[in-house]
Amino acid sequence: MTGRPYATPVPKGYRLGAWEVREPLASGAFATVYHAVRHTADGGGLPRRAALKFLPTGTRAPRQPHHLRDLAEREVRLLRRLRSPRLIRMYDTLTVDDPGRPELDGATVLVLERAEESLDAVLDRSPVPEAGAALLAQICEGLHQLHHAGWVHGDLKPANVLLMADGSARLADFNTAAELEGTHAYAPAFATPDYTPPELLWPEIDERGTRVRPSADIWAFGVLAHVVLTGSFPFPGGTTEARDDAALRYVRGTEELRLSPGLPEKWREIVRDCLAPTHEGRAADTAALLRRVERAAGTAHPPRPPRLKLRRWRRLAALVTVLSALELAGSGVAYTALRDEAPAAHTPPTCEKPAVFKDPAHGLGYTAGQNGTWDFTIEQGDGGGQVREVQCLLGHLHGFTEAGDVHGDFGPRTHRAVVTFQERAGLAADGTVDPATWRALRKAR
Amino acid sequence: MYSVIVVPPSNGIGDGQIRLGAGERVEFGRARRRNGLAIAHEGVPRIAGEITAHRTFWLLSNLSEDQTYVVENPEGAGEHIKVAPGRVDAPVPFEFSRVTLPAAGDLLSFDVWAPRHTFRSVERSGLAGSATVPAFALDRTKRYFAVLAVLCERRLRGEPSAPLPAVEEIVERLRPSWPKVTRSAVYWNIDYLAVKLRLRPGPDEAEPGRRVHGKKESLVSLALRFDLVREDDLVVLTPVPSGAPR
Repeated sequence: MTGRPYATPVPKGYRLGAWEVREPLASGAFATVYHAVRHTADGGGLPRRAALKFLPTGTRAPRQPHHLRDLAEREVRLLRRLRSPRLIRMYDTLTVDDPGRPELDGATVLVLERAEESLDAVLDRSPVPEAGAALLAQICEGLHQLHHAGWVHGDLKPANVLLMADGSARLADFNTAAELEGTHAYAPAFATPDYTPPELLWPEIDERGTRVRPSADIWAFGVLAHVVLTGSFPFPGGTTEARDDAALRYVRGTEELRLSPGLPEKWREIVRDCLAPTHEGRAADTAALLRRVERAAGTAHPPRPPRLKLRRWRRLAALVTVLSALELAGSGVAYTALRDEAPAAHTPPTCEKPAVFKDPAHGLGYTAGQNGTWDFTIEQGDGGGQVREVQCLLGHLHGFTEAGDVHGDFGPRTHRAVVTFQERAGLAADGTVDPATWRALRKAR
Repeated sequence: MYSVIVVPPSNGIGDGQIRLGAGERVEFGRARRRNGLAIAHEGVPRIAGEITAHRTFWLLSNLSEDQTYVVENPEGAGEHIKVAPGRVDAPVPFEFSRVTLPAAGDLLSFDVWAPRHTFRSVERSGLAGSATVPAFALDRTKRYFAVLAVLCERRLRGEPSAPLPAVEEIVERLRPSWPKVTRSAVYWNIDYLAVKLRLRPGPDEAEPGRRVHGKKESLVSLALRFDLVREDDLVVLTPVPSGAPR
């Protein structure tokens, strides 16, 4: 039967283009992901570390999986065309040319941004992570970016949400993603039953695949939110089959939805709307859903922090200075120590409490937990997580109270604050947050 | 979404079938009831029993006073279960079942299918997290799988544009491993595959003559595209004698 995991063994030290393969990170239904480091001195814009995703698409791979080629193409097509802060980034694609290794020859390899771990691994450790609500807001933002661009993810679940070193979340694994054609998209007939809307558990199919709507991702988000916030699935049952059965009885109207009493009040309506029995009833407008989720998570309009906390930031800033010095001395210990103190998934940075994390490409820097970018250029008129990040960093790290409230809209006040910041930092004061400005905003002082 | 199909006696695919979703039940017996399965025979109790769809399988209740019912797997070489009188909710594990009721010297029967039986990959065990799985679950030991394998055989053996075998050719190819195969058994299995895979009818299948051919084409493209049958699955068929035309 299909669906067997296609573990692709790649020996440690195997070289492919600029990359040298290290330890395996994860193995899924279609691919195996390895940690890799760049062995060339000149990166040409490539980071030092990356994740290599091997899909055994070669003609001599065992079992000749035809559909894997389609799945690999879907992911490449999406990642080539969409570059969004909440989607995992793809640097390059490679094809293995190594006739001496038939099991590897012809494999498609995606060079992806290296994440720290998956949300699944976090949930394994702590079933209800403290950062859950904030992560859900970021996942919803990613979903919004994806749907806005006209794509359906098709397999949203904790294993396909990756957490970066700064604690921010990105969506990954786009093998089942499909571009919308009108109201539908054609997706390959693969799914994770616990996150699949009942109408797609046994879907109708033709040669092009199953028809999915964006509302399938919304259902998955509802399940995911319930799992992250309560540590349990929204439908009762000890096995996937039992839970699917309960979901089917619920959509048929023979049973009502009984959400966990542990689900916070402000999330109940959101989860309920995502899990509407019919696709028409689901909260398909991701922009509106995102606003509700951000409000519930408290990331939309963070309250002004009490004065008291200012001191702690300064202390943290001082600590960071020491750590930066250590880092300059070439010590990797500093980063480890810092991570032990503040594991990304447990105490993520917040708007009013930016914290220092290490970015694999850019080194140590502050993040306010709204967005992890160091190079996404924004200017007046833009909106979204990047703008919130700038507003938080300006207001709560650099003391620009005149930057205005944190609302994610890049208006004249934010523009003026950016210009002033750029003047003080000795940058071109044009009000456009470019990579140089991001660096100045984030750099530990 | 239904998970069990009750097929009245002597009935083809489509007519009079009762589709049950998980938790739904249907009564069978002499009494003509709305949404019930009527078995017109004087020797059958008014309400002889009940079928309940449970998840992807089904439960049989024997409501007769003194008759034992037999549920047989028609593809299982005599494999069957007995349900004693009065027994409630006996689980039936077969994908295809023939329920036989003794009635005043006659044996009456009807069929029940459970096309949503699921299969899990053993290779998956040990991997963390919820697995991404295919939406299809074909049982490789069933005859429908052999029929699908014959349909795909030439294209899998390196002739990607080979024409599909005619029903007569399929019968010939299957006969060594399935001596009692008939044309209608092949048609039945093709129809059942379309039900099981929930194949959406193509536009050209409206014309009666194109129907079976269109269904065969759709099944084969689907099977090849999603690797439902691979070259190494062709072992379910007897080897082709060397030199013989395929």
